[in-house]
This record gives sequence, structure tokens and C-alpha cells, in this order.
Amino acid sequence: MYKRINLFIAVLFVLPAFQVIGQDWVVPAENSAIENPQEYTLKNVKLGKDLYMVNCKSCHGDPGKNNPLPLVPVPPDVVSDQMQSNSVGDLYYKMSIGKGAMPQFETTISEDNRWRIVNFIMNYNSNRKQLLEDKPPVKAQLLASINEDDGTVNVFAEYEDKGGDYSKLVDVPVIFSLKKTFGNLELGECITNENGRSDFIIPGSLIGNEEGFVTIVVSLGEDYEAKDVILENAKICMSKEVPKLIRQGVIWSTNDNLPMWLLLSYIGMVGGAWLAIGYVVFQIIKIRKYSKE
Amino acid sequence: MNKIESPEESRKLLDKIFKDLTRSIVKKDELTRFWFFILLMFIGVGLWGWIIQVDRGLGVTGMRDYVSWGIYIANFVFFVAVSLIGFLLSSAMHLLKIDWVKPVSRVAEQIAIAAVGLAGIIIVMDMGRPDRLLNVFLHGRFASPIVWDLTVVTTYLTISVLLFYIPLIPDLALLRDRLGSQVPKWQLKVYSILSLGWKGNPKQFKTVYHAMRVLMILIIPVGLSIHTVTSWLFASTLRAGWDSTIFGPYFVAGAFVAGTAAVIIVMYVYRVRHGLKDYFEDKHFNQMGKLLVFVSLLYLYFNVNEFLVPGYKMKLAEGIHLSNLFAGDYAPMFWFAQIFGLFIPIILLLFKFFRKPLPITIISAFVLVSAWFKRYIIVIPTEEHPFLPIQNVPENFHHYAPTSIEIMIMLFSFFAAIFIISVLSKLFPVITIWEYAEEKGIDKKYLSETPKN
Repeated sequence: MYKRINLFIAVLFVLPAFQVIGQDWVVPAENSAIENPQEYTLKNVKLGKDLYMVNCKSCHGDPGKNNPLPLVPVPPDVVSDQMQSNSVGDLYYKMSIGKGAMPQFETTISEDNRWRIVNFIMNYNSNRKQLLEDKPPVKAQLLASINEDDGTVNVFAEYEDKGGDYSKLVDVPVIFSLKKTFGNLELGECITNENGRSDFIIPGSLIGNEEGFVTIVVSLGEDYEAKDVILENAKICMSKEVPKLIRQGVIWSTNDNLPMWLLLSYIGMVGGAWLAIGYVVFQIIKIRKYSKE
Repeated sequence: MNKIESPEESRKLLDKIFKDLTRSIVKKDELTRFWFFILLMFIGVGLWGWIIQVDRGLGVTGMRDYVSWGIYIANFVFFVAVSLIGFLLSSAMHLLKIDWVKPVSRVAEQIAIAAVGLAGIIIVMDMGRPDRLLNVFLHGRFASPIVWDLTVVTTYLTISVLLFYIPLIPDLALLRDRLGSQVPKWQLKVYSILSLGWKGNPKQFKTVYHAMRVLMILIIPVGLSIHTVTSWLFASTLRAGWDSTIFGPYFVAGAFVAGTAAVIIVMYVYRVRHGLKDYFEDKHFNQMGKLLVFVSLLYLYFNVNEFLVPGYKMKLAEGIHLSNLFAGDYAPMFWFAQIFGLFIPIILLLFKFFRKPLPITIISAFVLVSAWFKRYIIVIPTEEHPFLPIQNVPENFHHYAPTSIEIMIMLFSFFAAIFIISVLSKLFPVITIWEYAEEKGIDKKYLSETPKN
């Protein structure tokens, strides 16, 4: 059912594209020759992947899985020859300008980001070293402790190797974030050294809750399957100044801010009334006493 | 006060007064039993409703998020209002040395005890978790009018009971000495204990007068506070219709109207049922009628202030509230309360004919019913118009209507109040015998004599 709806939508979108079927998409030579100004690094490939997932995957599908949307013409898979035969300049030009069912992204994705997507596509090029590999996350363990005196978090990371033993995890980024009410706020990351250890200095300007407590979350990247370490109620930063919601001296205030005159009047009046009642009860006792006379 | 010199005449008159005023205690007939049966039956039904409510929670009532004070609170305000008459009749007017009020003061005190007691009970019945009542005392905020109200209701109840009891002591001695075999033994025993071995010596009378005087003075500030503080439960909020500076005196004036009407009705019932034509005389009804006109005029004055001044300006929220009262959903109830509870009684009671016992009792019944509706109008319409718009809530959150459980519990409160009054009138004389005898010129020394027969 779902697929049929998809197909229907696809056909609707693609109708005008029939006119371009069979025509080759020729990129002007000067555009084709442009080299990628963004470096081909893991970081850029990763960023490119994120952008691809948001903007391109819905039609082109997952890389290598050959699951594009059945449009006419079919959007090529990222790993396909049809895609990889393009030069980086071609790819950049095509995603910028668009054609038929392929939208133009010139106005919606920045230049840098478009080049990052190109980098992600080039990750699957046979002429390049594949930086980003799709492999199942490695089982890992993370230990972290906090030193409240100098505000550093000491981390030790290890992973489970093929033999099932744990050995230290070297040269891997560890991410530090602050637990907030709605999600985590990333503070930064540090790379583990040859001993699998790393230190992270929590910025001193950080503001915690009313008592100055924060909760730090230490986690490994998504390549590793490790439990996040949650360091609760760490007192390493400034306390939040909370403005008093109720000003002093408002009558309907809390018991803490209760105006003294109000408390005294209350006690005075109630005490006075009950003293008088007590006096009357004493009179009743007197009446009883007089009956014996 | 004309003194009767002859001892025989004094004794004869005292015997007659005693016989008349204890008729209600001695009399045993089917009607009395039937009356108590009816009362207990309704009380039982009401308690059953309360058990259902405690079991299933406040969801069985019509109260929802917006209207969270329903007829229970309206009822509470009504009872507090009615109870205030005890302070007016048996204290303020006593201290002003208005003599005709003396026979009426015990009736007023009976009503005060019953009403303020039920006011306290109805609050507990309004609670979803009555078992947490103690928390109000343990964790109450001194800045909260609810804590003030709780304190003042308790204090007023204590003073009312004392003010009922102290003038009763010499009467209890009379009952103890004279009733003999006419009442069951346990009842005599109760009289004997409560009369504190009263001998009637001058020192004792002096102490009774003194204690009464202290209580009468004490009840004035407490009585004024009880209803003023109740009004502050509303007036200390910002809600349209409640945010008013005259709510204190407005409530007190309204309380006098409701209480006076209640006293007139009870007086009439005693007069007819116990044959007390010579005690609750036409002149008493006449005077009560004049009092009712006076307090109604006072209440009318506050009503004009309360509705005309905001109605002149029709500020946004206040305007919605007032048009709802004047011409909207609550218009029938509002105009019924104003016309039958104020305008018509004031006009009718200006004529002497309508101050006769039967007409004034009928008028008082209207006044009392209107007084209840007036409390309903004070409590509920305001809550249906919060300042923030009501959005995305079930339909039954928009409007309040009491459910059958609430009506059962309300009936319980009415019948329990009448039950308390009935029990008090069945156990104790409805008029202070010794005070009345003294009024008629009988010397105090005859009171402590045991009759020969």
C-alpha cells in the first residue's frame, strides 16, 4: 500500500521529466573541471553524510543498497557507475542546478555543504581511499571520573577485540556534553592517547543549577557501542542565580516570606480570642465551685 | 419590669412558664418520632452519597478543572452566613439593651451552632482526601485566608456553644429539679451533669452574667471576622466578580438577611408546634420584620455598590461576568434572588400586615431560598470565566452543574442542620426560662425552690 502511494506521488512529480528522458546531462567543461575546495577528510565526509541523509536519501536511497525512489529516470545509487563516472565538478554542478525531477540545491544548501556532499559521494569512488566505512559498531567500554578541584574529567576507553578481550582504545574522539532538561548540550571532545586515556577540562564559565551542580555525559562516537558515562551532580561550575519569584512583603507570599506583622496579628488575635474563651471556661469552673458553698 | 410581690402568684406564674417552655421536651408523640425519622433518613442518604464520593473521588461531582468550587462551597458560604445571626441577635442587640430580643436569642444561638457546625463539616466533604485534613493544621500557611477561615470558624463554633451553654446552666438546674419522671433517667443525668450542681446563689448568677458579657463582647470581633474572612477567600483573588473591596461588609450584610429569615422561620415553627403563642408573640415577629427590612436595605445598598459600579464601567472580564448574570445563563437565578430575596420582601415588610407571623414566615422562606441562590451566584459563575481562554478541554469542563451525589450531600447538610436544631430544642428549652421569668417580675429565689407537686 505504502509503496503504491509512493509510486503515485513519484509519477505525479516525474511527469514533466519525460521530456528529458534519453537526453544526456552535459555539464559545461569549465564547471566540470572545478576541483573540490573542501578537503577530503573523514570529518567532511561525515558532515556530507549527514547532509545527504537529510536532502538526498529520500530519492537516491542508501548508498550501495540500490533502493532509490522508482522515478523516471531512476535516481542513481551513490555507489553506481552512473554516479561515480561524474567528476567532482560534474556532481557539484548537477546538484546545484538540477534538472527535471532532480531539484536544484543552489538556494537551499550552502556552497561548502554542497562540496561536502560531493566528498561523501567520493567516499565510494574506487579511486579514493574509503574514509567512512559502514561497519557494525564495536563494543566498547568507557570509564570516566571527575576531579572537582581542577574541573577535569579523566576518561579511559577500551574496546572488545575479536578475541573477546578488552584492550585500550587509542586515538578515538570522546564526546563530553552537559545534560540539560531537553537533550544534551555538547561541550567538546578530546582524543584518547596511546594509553586509551584522555583528560577534558570543563570550562570554568559553565553555569550549573541553583546549587552549582551539573550532570556531565561522556560518550563515544557512533562507531562504538558503549554505555554513556553520566557523572551526576558534579560541583565544578558557578551556580545559577535564580531571581525570587515572590518579592518580600507580599501578603500572599510563602511561609518563608510571611510578613512579621501578619504573623503577629494572626497569633495575637487568635491567641486573644482563645485566652478569652479560656477565661470563660474558668468562669464555668467557678460556677461549679460556688455550688458547693 | 413590674415586680410581683406575692409568692403564690410568683410560683404559679413560674410553674406556667416552665410548663409551657418544657412542653417540647416532655412531649412524646408520633409526629416528633416521624420528624426525627425523616431527618435521619435524609442524613443517611446524604452520608451514603458522601461514602460514594470518598470511594470514587471527586470525579463523581460536577466539579472540573475550571469550576473547582461547586455547591459545596456555595453551601459553606450560606451556612456561615446563616450562623452570623447568633452574633447579631444574642450579642450585639443584647449589649444594646434591646429587650424584645431576649426570647429570640436562644433560637438564634441554636441556628448559629447548627449552621457553623455544618459549615465546618461541608468543607471536609468538599475535600477529595478528607483524611488529609490534619495537613491544613500541620502545614497551613499563615498568609492564607483558608487558614484564617479555619481558625475563625473553629473559634466561632466554640464561642457559640459557650454562649448557648452558659445562659442554659440555671435552666438546666430547673429541668433537673422539676422534670422528675417526665423524661428518661439518662436525660435527667445529662441535665444534672451539665447544670454543674447549680444552687442559684447570687455569686453564681453574678458569674453567669459576667461570663455572658465576656462572650457577648468577644463574639462581636469573631463574628464579624468569620464572614469577612469567608468573603476574603474570594476577594483576595483577581477573578472577575470576586475582586471587590466591599466583599467583607457585603457578605456580613447578606448574612444578617439570611440569618434573620432563618430565625423567623424557626420561631414560627416553635410557636405553632409547641404552642408558644404567648412567648413568640406577634410583637416579636413584628420587630423581627422591622429588623429584616433594616438588614435587607443595608444589603440592598451593598448590592447596588457591588453591581452598579462595575456594571457602569463594564471592564472586559468584569463585563463578561456581569452580562452573564444580568442577561445570560444565570439571569433567572440572579433576578430571582434579587427580586424575591430583596425587593419584594423590603416592600412587603413595610406594611404591618406582612409582619404578622404567617406572612412574614412565608416571606422569610423566600428570602432564605434566595440567599442560597445568591451564594451559588457568587461562587460559580466567576469560575466559568477564567482570564485565560478555555481551550482543548472536554465539553463538561465548560459549564458546571451539580450531580446527584452533590445534591445528596447538600441535602445531608440541610437536614443535619435541622437535625441539630431539632435535637437542641428537644433537649433544652427554646427560650431562657430564668431570664424570661425575671422579665415577668419573678424573683430569683423562687427559681431554686423545688415545687411540691
